[in-house]
Amino acid sequence: MFDWGWVSNNITDEILPALIGHIYLSFVSVAIALLISLPIGILVSRYRKVYPPVTFITGLLFSIPSLALFALLVSVPGLGLGSTTVIIALVSYSLLVLIRNVVAGIDSVPEETRDAARGMGLTNRQILFRVELPLALPVIVAGIRIATVTIIGIATIGAYISGGGLGELIFTGISRNFPTRVIVGAVLATLLAVLADLTLLAVERYLRPWARTRRA
Amino acid sequence: MIEFRGVSKTYPGSSRPVVNDLSFEVFDGEICVLVGPSGCGKTTSMRMVNRLIEPSAGEILIDGEPNTAMSGTKLRRHIGYAIQQIGLFPHRTIADNIATVPQLLEWDKGRISARVEELLNLVGLDPDQYRDRYPAELSGGQQQRVGVARALAADPPVMLMDEPFGAVDPINRHRLQDEFLRIQGEIKKTIIFVTHDIDEAIKMGDRIAILQEGGILAQYDTPENILASPNSEFVSSFVGADRVLKRLSLLRVSDVELGPPNGDGLPRLSERMNLKDALSELIGAGVERGSVVSDKDAVRGTLSIETIQRLSHGAEQARGE
Repeated sequence: MFDWGWVSNNITDEILPALIGHIYLSFVSVAIALLISLPIGILVSRYRKVYPPVTFITGLLFSIPSLALFALLVSVPGLGLGSTTVIIALVSYSLLVLIRNVVAGIDSVPEETRDAARGMGLTNRQILFRVELPLALPVIVAGIRIATVTIIGIATIGAYISGGGLGELIFTGISRNFPTRVIVGAVLATLLAVLADLTLLAVERYLRPWARTRRA
Repeated sequence: MIEFRGVSKTYPGSSRPVVNDLSFEVFDGEICVLVGPSGCGKTTSMRMVNRLIEPSAGEILIDGEPNTAMSGTKLRRHIGYAIQQIGLFPHRTIADNIATVPQLLEWDKGRISARVEELLNLVGLDPDQYRDRYPAELSGGQQQRVGVARALAADPPVMLMDEPFGAVDPINRHRLQDEFLRIQGEIKKTIIFVTHDIDEAIKMGDRIAILQEGGILAQYDTPENILASPNSEFVSSFVGADRVLKRLSLLRVSDVELGPPNGDGLPRLSERMNLKDALSELIGAGVERGSVVSDKDAVRGTLSIETIQRLSHGAEQARGE
């Protein structure tokens, strides 16, 4: 049933490009989502009033079924089929989780730490970059982890609108009734998600050296 | 010198001031304790000195200059700041925490690390052992010491301390208070020290400002004078019914004129004891007199309950005048 011969014949011209395409889609999407979420999260932590509308909009985006969102975006003039459309969809899925974690991370900074920082003469900008963001970073990375794993999964559907990636193998495998393609695509997507999860978990731990305590 | 001139603070949307027309002076090299019940505005008053809070009226002068002469952040870098919750940066090592203000002032690396070492020694923490640890690895008392070291880092002439020893158990608190008084003996900073604890105020203060609800200054004087002659019902009830004993605790046995050495079988009192503890010893032993001895066990003379009584009676009289 599983055709090893096909795997070895197509590893360089089909499987590897699909894997690289998938990594590219996921990485670019998370990166763009992060660039949008960081300033919004910081803004929300300063002006609480904007939090409800931000959660409402990003929550709405998050709740649209992925296939429906892809279909909707394809019909937008100027977008059509292709990886750009897929990336837009993937970004819109990550915003909720990322913004929430940026806000939660900044909120987790103890008030007395902020007060001490201000009392010693740090400017607002220095408090943000030297105190709040470093302390929030592990929580932000935890959000990146969830977003990345989610995106790697949803990105497979992107092949439906010609976004490329491992979904390509799965969809063509189904339509040509060739299970080997489906299995290779599915297994690689899963491995990629697990690997990303573990890597980011390690990063999260590494960023919290102060939590590895040895009590005096 | 720090000078409060008619300082008031009323928060927007409130008609009642939290600090009301406060005027007093904190002298160079002295610890001025702001003490009072909660809601008396003591922390607010302190936070107006380094402009974490801006007053609604009046002004605060530091060495004759209004504290508004420079930006708030620049001002704060030249005033030490230590708070009860300490607020150490959990993601930075002890050395980096202490180096916060020197780094802001762009001292060079060698000078900073020498200063960190000096300060860790000053507060009784071994630099080699603690320099590279994170705050979570230290006990509460050790963290408070680091908090004080951090406030002292850039050698600011003025320090603000808001219940800096409030977060530790009583035994450690007494030790930290004693240590800090010893340090202050060397560094002679001008300090505003906030507490709600009258005993701490009496122990730490060269002068005490007692505030009452609504941020009104009830009395400002030395601990001795406040205990001897509280100027209102509020002050005398705030310092407590045992104020005579508290005043005795400010005097050491060695400060008193002793009777001639006499005596076999009298209980021994160290000349470094305070009079309150000495009185307690005498009452506990059920005797009228004790034999005062030095550290080296040389007999200095005798101390009688009557002498102590006469001294405290003097306090009562002073109040009556």
